[in-house]
Amino acid sequence: MSRRRAWGIGLGLLAVALVSVATAAPPKDAMVIGLLAEPVTMDPPQITDLNSTRVIKRLFEGLTAQELGTYKIVPGLAQSWDISKDGLTYTFHLRPNVKFHDGTPLTAEAVKFCFDRQMNDQGPFYATGTYPYVKGFLGNVAGVEVVNPSTVQIRLKAPLTPFLQYLAHHSLYVYSPEALKKWGKDMVKHPVGTGPFKLETWEPGVRVVLSRNDQYWGGAPKIRQAIYVPIIEAQARLSAIKTGEIDMTMDVPPDSLADLRKDPDVVVAETNSSAVWYIALNTRHPALKDKRVRQALNYAVHKDAIIRDILKGTAIVATTPLSPVYGPYHEDKTLRYPYDPEKAKALLKEAGYAGGFDVTFFVPESGSGMQSPVEMATVIQANLAAVGVRARIQTMEWGAYLKKYLDGPDMAEMSWNPSIGDPDHMMYMLLSSDRFPPAFNAGFYQNPRVDELLRRGRTTIDEKERVPLYREAQRLVVEDAPWIFVDHGKQVIVHRKRVQGFKLHPNFDLVLTQVWLQ
Amino acid sequence: MAAVGGHGLQGYVVRRILLALPVLVGVSLLVFAVMRLAPGDPAAIMLGAQATREDVERLRRDLGLDRPVAVQYLQWMGRVLQGDLGRSIPLGREVLPEVLLRFKATAVLTAGALGIAVALGLTAGILSATRQYSWLDKLSMAVAVTGVSLPVFWTGIMLILVFALSLRWFPSAGMISPYGGGVTDLLWHLVLPAVTLGTASAAAVARLTRSSVLEIIRQDYVRAARAKGLAERAVIARHVLKNAFNPILTVIGVQVGYLLGGAILTETVFSWPGLGSMMVRAIQARDYPLVQGGVLLIATTFVVVNLIVDLLYAVFDPRIRYE
Repeated sequence: MSRRRAWGIGLGLLAVALVSVATAAPPKDAMVIGLLAEPVTMDPPQITDLNSTRVIKRLFEGLTAQELGTYKIVPGLAQSWDISKDGLTYTFHLRPNVKFHDGTPLTAEAVKFCFDRQMNDQGPFYATGTYPYVKGFLGNVAGVEVVNPSTVQIRLKAPLTPFLQYLAHHSLYVYSPEALKKWGKDMVKHPVGTGPFKLETWEPGVRVVLSRNDQYWGGAPKIRQAIYVPIIEAQARLSAIKTGEIDMTMDVPPDSLADLRKDPDVVVAETNSSAVWYIALNTRHPALKDKRVRQALNYAVHKDAIIRDILKGTAIVATTPLSPVYGPYHEDKTLRYPYDPEKAKALLKEAGYAGGFDVTFFVPESGSGMQSPVEMATVIQANLAAVGVRARIQTMEWGAYLKKYLDGPDMAEMSWNPSIGDPDHMMYMLLSSDRFPPAFNAGFYQNPRVDELLRRGRTTIDEKERVPLYREAQRLVVEDAPWIFVDHGKQVIVHRKRVQGFKLHPNFDLVLTQVWLQ
Repeated sequence: MAAVGGHGLQGYVVRRILLALPVLVGVSLLVFAVMRLAPGDPAAIMLGAQATREDVERLRRDLGLDRPVAVQYLQWMGRVLQGDLGRSIPLGREVLPEVLLRFKATAVLTAGALGIAVALGLTAGILSATRQYSWLDKLSMAVAVTGVSLPVFWTGIMLILVFALSLRWFPSAGMISPYGGGVTDLLWHLVLPAVTLGTASAAAVARLTRSSVLEIIRQDYVRAARAKGLAERAVIARHVLKNAFNPILTVIGVQVGYLLGGAILTETVFSWPGLGSMMVRAIQARDYPLVQGGVLLIATTFVVVNLIVDLLYAVFDPRIRYE
């Protein structure tokens, strides 16, 4: 009996201890963010995923930056710059007295070091990493020169308007050369930048703790710590934000949004994004090579129903590749494809496909920015069947899918979430005939006029001249219908009421510099 | 020769370890082949949408993936024998410290689940056997059948909904609190994942315990023990359980393997920072070195656990000798 009593007392004590852990109040100056997964690496040029960038953008900065809440380019580590008349030479004047987290100063030498590491494959530090973006963002750079300790000059091979946007991309962020020399390949877990936060600890799979950089040139952030935890399961993220275990998260189940909006302790922040979700149509397929057939498919798909019933309002209908987030570049006066199965049937008949046709429809099981790929495909398949088109769905796991996508499939889902805010990065990358597979124009779309407009857009610096080029290109593309245009996903962030001053950014970043806790 | 200990046991252990080597080589060949047969390529996945074919080819060359598969295997094996499991492709970190770190978390979860499986399973099994055909027996066996049939991801999400979201007794994810915490904090986070993972095993242990105890309980020496006036509790503990224990031990040994495998799903549901959740991500990224290292570690653990179980048989049954 006494042994039993001892057990009882022990269990009781344990329960009390557990409950006391459960009811501990969260600190007032530390904020917890629940990510979908932990960062992969913290070495800027090696990062290709959103979870990593959401963390390292607190630690590092580039020569240029995007204004909070827009894609407008503003000074970053360079406080000003001059562009030569021929558009080939960019001279950057660095911000004075900026220090890396290890105390070493930011110099023109350091900027050159970071760029050369990626560009020069014979260089001493090239082997410290792999650089997925080097060709895309530095391929057009002829060289980087140090003019004086606070001035750095970058020469281009050909004029390229989006270049200032490239410099705000995380792969061109500047880090401490001394840190790279010290850590080499292990720099992936020892980030040393100039940003408003610095890395305190990283316990793999458990948490990343960033602490305030009191020496930050732009003024120290208001919160003392930002703690990132990975929460893989959507239900668990929902539970954690509702119970206050975490202060901020994203990608909760769409079904739960209505309920969350009613929760007095929680704020649902949402905004349009630059992402686009579409189905690439192979313009070399016997039926799909006819523009009328491709237009028919656009009329056949009930986009409003998909957004309402599957995405629960977390998207807007895509009428062109460029969402309204692109401001003046977004063309509103394109041909529209409202849900109209009768018109779709008429167009199919006109094209000689009154009896429909068979097509293979590739669908990933999940994937970055893919929303609900399988459910959406099922509705689209039914919509197409209603006008006689027999789409056979083939689902694949994301890794295998990406490979299949670049093999020129008949018809395949894709989403594009551009990391920089230039229309070139969407239109040229996805729709120029320079970008046939294995690049990302998977449907082999080709229109000589569109090609010309997009090539001119790359080199035209003046926005007034540039806007009409992209507007015309969008009108042509939408009429040619190389895709089924489906939706622009909204960015939905859920945070606790105590988080104040938070502002969404169109590239899905979670900026914390201006945030405080109540 | 002594039953346990001395030369016989040592020789046995050495033989078992030698026998384990071909198993591990087989496992390494299998995982190496399966990863390379899977469609998708680590370089292409890592470079993503903006890469050209030349970029992918260059990265493949840098990673040594352009060499013949047999050469890649031998090079990898050569390094493994020197204790070097390579570097993860996307993480850029060394594999061995990474998998060992993750393995600690998996070991904690597996131990917790095993504790629950053994405690619940033995209790239910013994109660059922000693009260055969009673309502308690029927109920616990019905629960056991249900427990075996429930997939862990479903159990896990249900437990999150009830105990984390509604009742708020336990956290919904992670191994320690974001602000950090000690042993109590770890135990608090362990409860839901351990119950999720341990339920099915508890059911398996319960069913086997019941049948094993039922078999022994009808033996003459049990009747003799009762006849000499021993209390029922002592009869069960001293005479029945000890003799019923070897088959139970076997199933517990098998369950350790099952739990290590089942941990993959549980860890994903609860974002437990173990080998399983790491492996899911590594497989998605076709992170060959990390997957191979993780599988080798799991296989080695399984071999070692089986060896320990075999050695424990002799503790419960002195008639067993190792020669």
